[in-house]
Amino acid sequence: MEIKALRLRFMLSGIAAGVINGFFGGGGGLLLVPMLSGLCKLDMRSSLATSVAVMLPLSVISAAVYYFRAGISLAVALPYLLGGLLGGVIGGTLLKKAPLRLLRAVFALLMIYGGVRNIL
Amino acid sequence: MINMAAGLLCGVLSGCGIGGGTFLLLYMTGVTHIPQSAAQGINLLYFIPTSGASLFSHIKNRLIAKKGVLYCALPGAAAAFLSAFAATSIDVNMLKKLFGGFLIAAGIKQLLFSDKSAFNHPEKE
Repeated sequence: MEIKALRLRFMLSGIAAGVINGFFGGGGGLLLVPMLSGLCKLDMRSSLATSVAVMLPLSVISAAVYYFRAGISLAVALPYLLGGLLGGVIGGTLLKKAPLRLLRAVFALLMIYGGVRNIL
Repeated sequence: MINMAAGLLCGVLSGCGIGGGTFLLLYMTGVTHIPQSAAQGINLLYFIPTSGASLFSHIKNRLIAKKGVLYCALPGAAAAFLSAFAATSIDVNMLKKLFGGFLIAAGIKQLLFSDKSAFNHPEKE
């Protein structure tokens, strides 16, 4: 693939992920991973890992906006942060061995369920 | 303690890049009844140490497409800023319903149109 076209695809993927991440407070990876693998032609594990690396700065920026505008309580957030930190270490080591297809299918079903609950 | 366990479980999923944050959002709004916009903000905060922790493994395993990160993150950061500003400007109930619609669309897409890419090497420039 031509380098300029590939760069443009990466940029579009980043913009799409940024819009979702900023507007919904997460979920940017849901869009970014398939765009990285389908549009930018990364293999699936590289797409997942690259997505994590991209979403980190995007989440920092979005979190800052929410912190100043939505009144987040750090005391409420702390247990989630501590649990997430430990879980992230575990997840990072599991990525190479994880049954991705099964996890993605379960994840998809849970997303649909969660979405319906949010709307009703 | 339960909230920390929820964070841990979602952190494992996030570390695998499978979107544990989405589940955490649903947990916070559905179980602990935190308002949608505050939950979204906490979710973003949660992702920062979670992704930071998993990144070490991803870097060590050489799974990250470095130039891809650069071209994604710079415009993505601008988009994230503007979108977060917009989200914190609208009614929280509307935000929750819009998020629900997004989840359904994403879930259906993932279930029915899952990617079958078989490339085995990161991008090279």
